[in-house]
Formats: sequence, structure tokens, C-alpha cells
Amino acid sequence: MSVMAEDKDTVCYVYGIVPADVVTDEQARGVGGTPVVTVTQGKIAALAGDIPRDKPLGRPDDLIAHERLLDLAAAETPVLPFRFGSVMSSKEAVADELLAPYHDEFLSALTELDGRQEYVLHGRYVEETILREVLSEHEEAARLHEQLRAQGENASQDERVALGEFLFNAVAAKREKDSHTVADALAPLTVAIAPRDPTHEEDAVNIAFLVDADHEQDFHAAVAEIAEEWASRVELRVLGPLAPYDFTVSRSTPEG
Amino acid sequence: MTTALQQSGGGGGSSRGLADAIDSILDKGLVLDAYVGVSIVGIELVTINARVVIASVDTYLRFAEATNRLDLSEQQGAGMTELLGNTTQSVAKGKTKGMLEAVGEKVAEALQDKREELERPSRRRRGE
Repeated sequence: MSVMAEDKDTVCYVYGIVPADVVTDEQARGVGGTPVVTVTQGKIAALAGDIPRDKPLGRPDDLIAHERLLDLAAAETPVLPFRFGSVMSSKEAVADELLAPYHDEFLSALTELDGRQEYVLHGRYVEETILREVLSEHEEAARLHEQLRAQGENASQDERVALGEFLFNAVAAKREKDSHTVADALAPLTVAIAPRDPTHEEDAVNIAFLVDADHEQDFHAAVAEIAEEWASRVELRVLGPLAPYDFTVSRSTPEG
Repeated sequence: MTTALQQSGGGGGSSRGLADAIDSILDKGLVLDAYVGVSIVGIELVTINARVVIASVDTYLRFAEATNRLDLSEQQGAGMTELLGNTTQSVAKGKTKGMLEAVGEKVAEALQDKREELERPSRRRRGE
């Protein structure tokens, strides 16, 4: 029971939930270089591992270890990822209080994810190209730009800010439009789409897709086509297969 | 071919870095609190902030500065459309890569420097 765990100097980190038949590699390492095991209950299991109670988490290596473990798992099996920093008192608590009570719920989510992978399409505008685009499309931007150039060092802060703000908003509008274009183009090849927030003011797209194995090849072909079309204006990356971070929803939203 | 597509597979060598990990695992995925009560352990977390895009004067000034750097002298000889179509391609690529790396480094530095509790609903820390 959990009460017993208060005296221990280790606690149990939970990475995610997988089907019970998944076997972990003995070499597998999680946060802080600790071993990863499976805690099994019925037809499901938690990917988990004991970690020291008193060591703070969140160093770059910890974050990457968490992500890598789940993404490696996702390449082989359906997995429900937990958010970084999910810790329970003991393996027994994981089995008794997490896996047992929600066994059927987790199992049905795993079944639904079977044969499906998450990919994230992340694109960053090529700065020079996108700024030239905006300047050529908006007279107001071109005018502000010329004005600054003419004044050189004497240009006021307000004038610089005015141009910068115009560009910022114009790029945001392009992001909106380009994201829709990409989502529309790939929608027929995907099970679900989840937009991610931009992580940089020159982001072009940042969208997560859940892709069925049957459509994987077509999906990649379609992405390659977009990348080629945008070769001079967007640096496009496909991340994945990833654990379905963007398509796993906690139970606060009741499922039918 | 100039196609800038990079595939970073889950199995092999990954070109994904810390910044990508942060985008995925900090505020996405299942939340333990939704399932478990007493056995949750609040472990100390180093401060980590997901990257967000903020419209600020600094950002505006950076855009203005970037535009200032555009070498528009060529424009006098060539029409703008021509510039858009061809000339910019080769120059632009290296520049953007450098910026991406710089962002990653900044995040890494921030992570190493600050060690405070993460801004989240605080959890009970058992045994205290």
C-alpha cells in the first residue's frame, strides 16, 4: 500500500502505458539513467522505473530520456504517454491505483491506437524569403521599410517598431494560411489532426497528425511534395513516429 | 535537390533535440492527477518553460533589423518578382539553420541555469 512507501528513498516514475505483452530491453534507461521495467496488470502494463526521491528532475538529459523511451516504444507498439514528471509512491501503487481501476479504459485506448502513429510536421520560414514576400505583397510594409532605409541610423525606435509589428502580423497571417493549406492537403491521409502552438515567430506550420499504417507511405509522399513546393521558403521537418502525445486525452473529458 | 525535408525516425539516429522534447512532453500526454489521488508524489522539478511566441517590442525590433539586413541593392537591377523566384534560395538556407541552433542552445542554457519548482499546481510532497 501507498502508506508504506513514505519511508522509502525511491519513488516510481511512470512513462506510459502499453499492452501487457511488451518486453523492455534490459539496457533501456529512463530519467537520471535509471532502469525501466514493466509493471503489469491484466492486459496492460506501465513503463515505469524507480528513481531517487530527492533528486530534482528536468535536466535536458531527463527530458530527452523520457521522450526517447516513449518514441522508441511507439515505433513498436501502441503507447499512452504520460506527461513529463509523473511520479507515484511505488510500483505497487502503480499496479493497484493506476492500472487496476482504469484497466478497461486504458486497454480500449490502446486498441484504438493500434497500427497508428503520430507525426509532427514542423516548418520554419526561411527568413529572407518570407520577409521579401511580405514586402512585395504589402505596400505599407515596403513604404515603412524604405523610410527606415532612407534614415539609416537616424530612424526612430517607433518607426522600427511599426515596421516590425507589421511584419510580425503579416507572418502570423501567412502561418495561419499555410497551416490550413497543409492540414487540408493531408487530412484525407490521416486519422486525426491536432495543431500545435507555434514555438517561434517565424514558424510556418506546427501540426500533429495521427496516421494509420495503411496511409503511411501516401502521407510521406504528400509531405515530400509539400516540402518540394516550399523548398525555397520553408524548412520542413517531419518528426516521428512519436508517441501520440497530441492524441492522448486524460479522462476529465468523459469518453463514450 | 533543395528539398529541406528531414526525417528523424524513432528508431535510428535522431535529429530531434531538446527543444522538440520540450514541445512534446511538458504539457501533452496523460495527467496522473486525473487518475490517482494519494499515491502521487510531487517530485522537485527544474524550471522548464515551453516556448511560446510573444508579440513584444523586442520581437518587432528583431523583425525590423532582419529586414534591414536584406540586401535590396540588387533590386535596382532586377524586378522584385525575379528576386523572389530565384536569387534568394541559395543564401537563405544557411541562415535559418543557424537560427534554429541558436534557439536550441538558448533553451538548454535556461534549463541548466534555473532550478526551481515548475509552475504547476503544487502537489503534496509525502513524508514532509
